[in-house]
Amino acid sequence: MLTAAAVVAVAAACRPREPAQNAERTVTIYVSTDRVFSEPVLREYEKRSGVRVSAVYDTEETKSTGLANRLIAEVNRPQADVFWSNEPVRTLVLKSRGVLATYRSSSAEGIPDALVDPEGYWTGFSARIRVIAYNTNLVKAGDAPRSVFDLADPRWKGKAGIADPRFGSTSFHVAALYAHVGDAKMDVFFRQLKANDVRIVDSNSVVRDLVARGELHVGLTDTDDVNVAIENGQPVAMVLPDRDGVGVPVMPNMVSLVANAPHLDEGRALIDYLLSPDVERMLADSEAVQIPLHAGVPGPRNIPSIDSFRPMTLDYTKAAARVDEVTVRAATILGR
Amino acid sequence: MIGIAVAAFALFCGLPLAYMLAQSGTTGATYAALLLDARQRALLYNTAALGTGTALLATLIGAPLGLALARVVVPFKPALRIALAAPVLLPPYVTGLAWVYLGGSAGIVASVMGRDVISEWTYSLPGAILVLSLVFYPLSMLATEVAMRRVETRLEEAALVVASPGRVVRHITLPLVAPSVAAAALVIFVLAVSEFGVPGLLRVRVFTTEVFTAFAALYDFSRATILTLPLLGLSILVAAVAALLVGERLVVTRRGLGSAQLIAFEGWSGRASAAAACVLAIALVAPLAVLTREALAVPSVAAVVQGSREAIGNSLTLAALGATVVTLIAVWLGYARARARRRFGVVADVLFVVLFAVPSTVVGVGLIGVWNRAGVFGRLYGTDGMLLLVYLARFLPVAALALAAGIRYVPTSHEEAAAVGGAGWWRTMIRIVLPQVKLALLATWILVFILAFGELGASILVAPPGEATLPIRIYTIIANAPPAHVAALALLQSVVVLSPLVLLAFVMTAWRTR
Repeated sequence: MLTAAAVVAVAAACRPREPAQNAERTVTIYVSTDRVFSEPVLREYEKRSGVRVSAVYDTEETKSTGLANRLIAEVNRPQADVFWSNEPVRTLVLKSRGVLATYRSSSAEGIPDALVDPEGYWTGFSARIRVIAYNTNLVKAGDAPRSVFDLADPRWKGKAGIADPRFGSTSFHVAALYAHVGDAKMDVFFRQLKANDVRIVDSNSVVRDLVARGELHVGLTDTDDVNVAIENGQPVAMVLPDRDGVGVPVMPNMVSLVANAPHLDEGRALIDYLLSPDVERMLADSEAVQIPLHAGVPGPRNIPSIDSFRPMTLDYTKAAARVDEVTVRAATILGR
Repeated sequence: MIGIAVAAFALFCGLPLAYMLAQSGTTGATYAALLLDARQRALLYNTAALGTGTALLATLIGAPLGLALARVVVPFKPALRIALAAPVLLPPYVTGLAWVYLGGSAGIVASVMGRDVISEWTYSLPGAILVLSLVFYPLSMLATEVAMRRVETRLEEAALVVASPGRVVRHITLPLVAPSVAAAALVIFVLAVSEFGVPGLLRVRVFTTEVFTAFAALYDFSRATILTLPLLGLSILVAAVAALLVGERLVVTRRGLGSAQLIAFEGWSGRASAAAACVLAIALVAPLAVLTREALAVPSVAAVVQGSREAIGNSLTLAALGATVVTLIAVWLGYARARARRRFGVVADVLFVVLFAVPSTVVGVGLIGVWNRAGVFGRLYGTDGMLLLVYLARFLPVAALALAAGIRYVPTSHEEAAAVGGAGWWRTMIRIVLPQVKLALLATWILVFILAFGELGASILVAPPGEATLPIRIYTIIANAPPAHVAALALLQSVVVLSPLVLLAFVMTAWRTR
C-alpha cells in the first residue's frame, strides 16, 4: 500500500508545474537581485503583459553558489530566458563562458553608454553604490572615513570591516580599484588593511549588522544594505567614498538574454520592460533605493542622484578580465 | 529487491559524483589543486578538529540521554523525548545566530555584564564545536535509544546480579549499542564537516569553504570537484577508524523485551531528569528565547508568514515523499550491508559515509549534468522530481547506514528458522525482519524528513522555476531582511518542521496506549 502510494505521489511530483499549452505565455528568469526587491517588479509585469513569469531567485549576499553555476551547468540545454544580476561580475563571467546572447533593447535609450555593453550582451540599469557605513553612536559624521583608503588609517585599527573580497559586489569593487589604481598601490593598501586588523566577514549584510550592533565602527558595504538598517531605525549612516579621489564606485544591475533561450521573444519583451523608466522608478521607491540611470526618473530619498557626484569611470570588460586574479590576490594578502 | 536497490543507489548517488569526477578531467593542472599548500592543510586540520570534536561532544551529550530515555524512569518521557530531539530541527545557522546574539561582543551577555567577556570564546573553534554539538546531539540520542530498545534486557538483569548499574552500562549495555552510537557519530561528523554556515558565522575557517569558493568565486567546477577529494579522504579515514574500533562484535542479541524498565536504574531517575533539563535549557530554551526576543521587534507576524504558504506546503510534501522513497530503498541496502561479509560490510559503510560527505553543491551540479538532457531524463528536469533526486542523492547513503545498524540487531537465526519453516525470502522479510526494525525505520524516516526539509545547497541549483521550498524562500529573502524578521523566519521554519513530528509522536503514543 505504502509503496503504491509513494509511486503515485512520485509520479505527481515529476509532472511539469504548468500545463504545456500555456508554454508560449511563459518566460523564465533567473534573478540574483534580492527577492524582496525583484518579486514585486516581476509580478507587475505579469499583470501588465499577461505572460506568466517563472522566476528562480537567489542572492549574492549570502555567498550563494546558485544561479551563475546553474546557468553554466545548463549551458547545453538552457532553461532560463533572461538573467537579471544585481552586480556586474557574474554577468561578465557568464558572457565569457558563452552563456549569454546579444540583444539591444530599445528601452536602453537614455542609459549612459558606459553602462551598456558595446557588443550587446548586457545592459545596465538601476545602480547601487559601494558605501562606507558607520555607527552613529560611535562615530561622529565629521569623523567618518571619506575614502576607502582611510580604512587603513590606524585610528580604525580593529574597528573596520569588509566582506570577503572574492564574492559579490565586494569582488566587483576590488576589481574596479585594481583596474583604476594599479596593482602595486592596491597590494600595499590591502597589506595596510591586514596590519590594521580589518575584519573580513561573509557578506555585506553581515558588515552592516556588525556596524549596526556596534561590533564594528565602520565598514564597506552597499547602499541597499545600509538603507534597510536606516529604515529599521538602527544607528547607521553612510558616506559615499572617494568623491574627491578615484570617484564613487557605482554598480548597476545588469540584464541579459540567455543564449538559446527557450522563449526568445518573451525573454526580449521582459528585458524591454526591465530596462524601462517604470522599473527604475519602482526600484528607486523600494527599500533597495536603487539609483535610476534614465535621465528624469526621480531618485530615492536619502541617496544623492547620479549627476551629483563623480562616478568611478570603469571599463567593465577590462576589470572583469582580471577579477578572479585580483580578488584571490587581495584575499591572500588578507589571509583568506 | 536488493538488486533494484543497488541499481537505484548507483544511479541516484553514484552517477552525479561520477559525472563530476569525469568532467573534472585528468590534467595535471586540476589535480595539482590536490597538493594543498600550508594554508589549505591548516584548514583541513580545522575541519577535522571541528568534525571530530562535534562527533565526540554530541555523542557525550546524546548517548547518555538515549540511555536514560530507554532505561530510566523519567517524568513526562514522551514529551521530554520530543523536546530533547527538537534542537536538531533548528537550522544550524539559526542556532549559531542565536549564540552570536547571546555571546557576541555586542550580545546580551556583554550588555548585561557591561563589558565583553565571552565573545573571544564564542568566535572560536571550541565555540563552533559546542554550537554544532548542541544541534546534532539528538541524532546520537535517538540512535542510542532505538538501539537500547533492541537490546535484550535480561543480559543486563543477569549482570546486575553481580555488578553495579554503572559497571553494567559500561561493560554490557554500551558495547551492545556501540554500532548505532558509532553510526550516529559518523553521521554527525559528516554533517559537521559539511557545514559552513556556523563556522562562517563564528569566524572559524574550514576547508569546506575552499570547495564553495571554487564554485562561488571562480565558477571552476573541476577545481571544486578535485578539492572535494581531501574532504572525502578525511571521511574515509574516520569511517575506517570507526569500523576498526567497533567491528562486528555486537550484533547478536535475541529479540528483546522492548522497552522494559530495569528496577536497578531507578536510582538514576533524579540525575537523568536534571541532566535532561540542563541540556534542554542550553540547547533549546536559550536559543529559542534569544530568537523570540529578537523576533518580538517584528511589526507584523502576518507579514513574515505572508506568501510562505505554498513554500511550506511544497516543503512538507516533498520532504515527506522524499523520506518515504529514500527509506523504501534504503531498507534493502541496509539489509544487504547488515548481512554482508565483514570485508564487504566495511567497504559499504565507507562508501555510504563518503557519498553522504559529498558537498551539496557538487551533488547539485552533478545532477544538472546527468539529468538536464534531451529524452527521458530531460522530462524530469524542471519538475519537483529533481528535488526528490536531490534527497535520494544526498540522503540515501545515510539512511542505508542507519538502517544497516538497526538490521544488524536482528539475529540471522530468525531468518534461518523461518526458512526451515518453509517461508520464502520475501515472506521472511515482511513477517520476520521488517517488524523487528520498525523503530529503526521510523527513526530513519524522521532523520531523512528533517534533512530533506532543511536541504538547500543542491535544491537551490535544481529546483524548478516558481515557488520552491521553505528554506529556499527564506534563504532568498533573508539577506536584506531586518534582524527581527530573520529571527521570526527562523522560528517559522522551526515551527513548520516541528509540528508534523509532534503530531506524529502524539498519534503514535495514542495508538500504543490504545
